[in-house]
Amino acid sequence: MLVRLVVASLIALVLPVSTARAQNSLVISVWGGNWKDTVERVAGKAFTAKTGIPVEFEVGGTIDRLAKARVAKGNPLVDLTFTTSHVGRLYISDGLYAPLDMAKIPNAKEIAREALRSEYHLGSWSYVYTIVYRPDLVKEDITQWSDLWKPGLKGKIAMPDFDPSHIITIAALMEGGNETTWQKGQERLKALKPSVVAFYSTDAQSQDLMKTGQAPVQVMLSVNAYHLQEQGIAVKLVQPKDYPGIVGIDTMGIMAGTKKADAAHQFINLVLSKEIQSELVRALKAGPVNGGATVPAELRGQPGIFVTPAEWKQRGYIVDDEVRAKTLPAWREWFTANIVK
Amino acid sequence: MRLLLAPALVVIVVFAAALSALLRYSVLEFVPGSLRTGGLTLANFTGILSRQYLGAVWDTLLLSLATTVLTLVASYPVAYALARTRSARARSALLVLTLAPFFTGAIVRTYAWVLVLGNTVLTWPVPMLFTPRGVLVGLVHFSMPTMILLLAAAVSHIDPVYERAAASLGASPWRVFRRVTLPLSMPGIVSGSVIVFAWTLSAFATPELLGGGRVKMIANVVRDLALDSFNWPGGAAFAAVALVVTLGLLAAAGRLTAAAERSPS
Repeated sequence: MLVRLVVASLIALVLPVSTARAQNSLVISVWGGNWKDTVERVAGKAFTAKTGIPVEFEVGGTIDRLAKARVAKGNPLVDLTFTTSHVGRLYISDGLYAPLDMAKIPNAKEIAREALRSEYHLGSWSYVYTIVYRPDLVKEDITQWSDLWKPGLKGKIAMPDFDPSHIITIAALMEGGNETTWQKGQERLKALKPSVVAFYSTDAQSQDLMKTGQAPVQVMLSVNAYHLQEQGIAVKLVQPKDYPGIVGIDTMGIMAGTKKADAAHQFINLVLSKEIQSELVRALKAGPVNGGATVPAELRGQPGIFVTPAEWKQRGYIVDDEVRAKTLPAWREWFTANIVK
Repeated sequence: MRLLLAPALVVIVVFAAALSALLRYSVLEFVPGSLRTGGLTLANFTGILSRQYLGAVWDTLLLSLATTVLTLVASYPVAYALARTRSARARSALLVLTLAPFFTGAIVRTYAWVLVLGNTVLTWPVPMLFTPRGVLVGLVHFSMPTMILLLAAAVSHIDPVYERAAASLGASPWRVFRRVTLPLSMPGIVSGSVIVFAWTLSAFATPELLGGGRVKMIANVVRDLALDSFNWPGGAAFAAVALVVTLGLLAAAGRLTAAAERSPS
């Protein structure tokens, strides 16, 4: 009771400021940096121009924003949230998202089946976790997942420890399993241990490890790899020949209790339009969820860019959101005990 | 007068509320794939009694102890020079060098160590980056300015007459240091060691960046559990256990400090 009282008091202290600021605006929760800048520049401005409704942003990490949303449950501080598809499941399970009114999102009819994550959240763009490396520092030719186990890569690989679901799924696929029978890949993963020099906790750490050459081979987000290329770091993204990359889909959901549900639906509809999707592809170098979006020639067929249903199916593997959200703690525990340590 | 206590009471209530939330979460059941918690349980505490989590506590204690000892050894000569140098210019230069790390920020300093320890600037005979050795270097560097200032304050309070008297009676410089300077600076040594040990127990950024995910201290594990595994009850239980361990160690250190202050000098 005391805790609730204090939390309520703190919210009451900040609420007048937030409320006054957000009274006329659509408030969107999104990651900071390039993500927020791009959503603001590409979608936010177009939305304001079309509807006259200003857009404001609350930025933060995936879990920070989830924690904030939880504290403000029922009286949300934001109207719409961008988050990863499996974390979206946590929003749903905690009653933080409102069901979407698909009649108000006509553009949803044009989006890929894979982007229809649930009746609460829809995909906004896609990417893959794949192998990225620096050819100037790695003599081995890397063309497929199994190349990670080459002896020449000993002490050169980095991968995320905050979410090992990608490499766990790949190892399981290589042993004839999948994310639900992930134990099949355990021995294979253990064999990879000597090759791993570091584990990263954030995208920034991953990029720093690549820039400094401390870990010139990484299981990495395709979007981050394209970002490194833009910065002049000569990294190569692998389109693995043996098994597909692990797809990530970032999603949009409308907060339960928001008073701007109509505006939020309009925003989602706009983001899913061909025009905005085309802009997002160019800006983020992420895949469109609307197959009608224009994809620049240099990005077509690249890792993480899926346009046709066939491409979604052949070049990407989507881990089931619910399995991922439920099994991630067990995956992390096993991974930390057996691979990290 | 009572009105002046109000801000302190607000702070106490907020801290108590945060702590009670932590303790409450630690006894709630974790439901995988959901933020909702189940009923009351002690499973979170039994869960963290595994080798993996206890290993993190042990690693933290070892790293904290090693950091304290190495920081003390590395800081004492600098503190002594700072307190006893006659030249005001040299003292100012030493002070600036000592305080410089405070102005760069923990993250910037740690990233600089990533470059230095990662064979980018120097070539090390043994791997340093992403090892406990590298984390130790970062923690010692982080702790040195505070230790130096505390030791310098303690040394500057020792009247040089005692050291000169010992020397005039034939004691060698080493004997003077061992029998006079060191015992008289003991309050500074103990208080500096307690502070360094206590904050190293809760170190986060240094092991996070220099450990490369391989070196996990208590704070890193709490973060991993709560933010990466979405296991808030597990994270709360681990934090509660760590808090008890830390308080126990600090109580022991407090007794040590009191004993040092009581000892005849």
